[in-house]
Amino acid sequence: MIMPILTGLRPGATQGAMRRVKFLLLAPAVLMGSGCVQVSAPDKPIEINLNINIRQEVVVRLQQDVKELIDKNPGVF
Amino acid sequence: MNRRLKLILAAGLTLGALTAGATAAYAMIQGDASATLRASGQAGEQADGYLGVVGSGSADLRAQVDAVNIKRRAYYTDLAAKRGAKIEEVAATTACELLRSKVVQGQYYRLSDGVWRQRDSAPVPLPGYCG
Repeated sequence: MIMPILTGLRPGATQGAMRRVKFLLLAPAVLMGSGCVQVSAPDKPIEINLNINIRQEVVVRLQQDVKELIDKNPGVF
Repeated sequence: MNRRLKLILAAGLTLGALTAGATAAYAMIQGDASATLRASGQAGEQADGYLGVVGSGSADLRAQVDAVNIKRRAYYTDLAAKRGAKIEEVAATTACELLRSKVVQGQYYRLSDGVWRQRDSAPVPLPGYCG
């Protein structure tokens, strides 16, 4: 038998390469698993109540923060 | 540098590029979600600070509106906690701004009477508390 002599004594030639391939295939799976942003829906549905009871002074106090919030998040607002 | 290290480095760089590309694409899809929804005429701004579906929207449309509203709710909750205000107060204040500056002619809005209206050339009539 000639074949075992050629490859059997040199595990690095094939086994080392396979180990690298295995690593390369595993890495994306691991990274994809941790890279996803999980957006989960709240338990309760968002209640729609259009009868808003709010004082104008509260609106004035929050106005500047709200403007910044809108400007910083164009996709959401 | 040995061959193994080079391989690992190459894999890392490739993955980094792929991840960055995917993130950019995702941002492009999400980038103007609420503006696109308003412009479609199938969703509009409500006095409560959330987007609403005008008429009976498709399941896909409702999912898109819900996705935006879930994010809004998170931002409102965060700001309310920071300022010692109620979530509804932050949301209503935001609605004032959105009705004032984001709803353009031809787009829909809904105030406390619950009726969807289309904005004409005049500004949206704001609730009294908006100031």
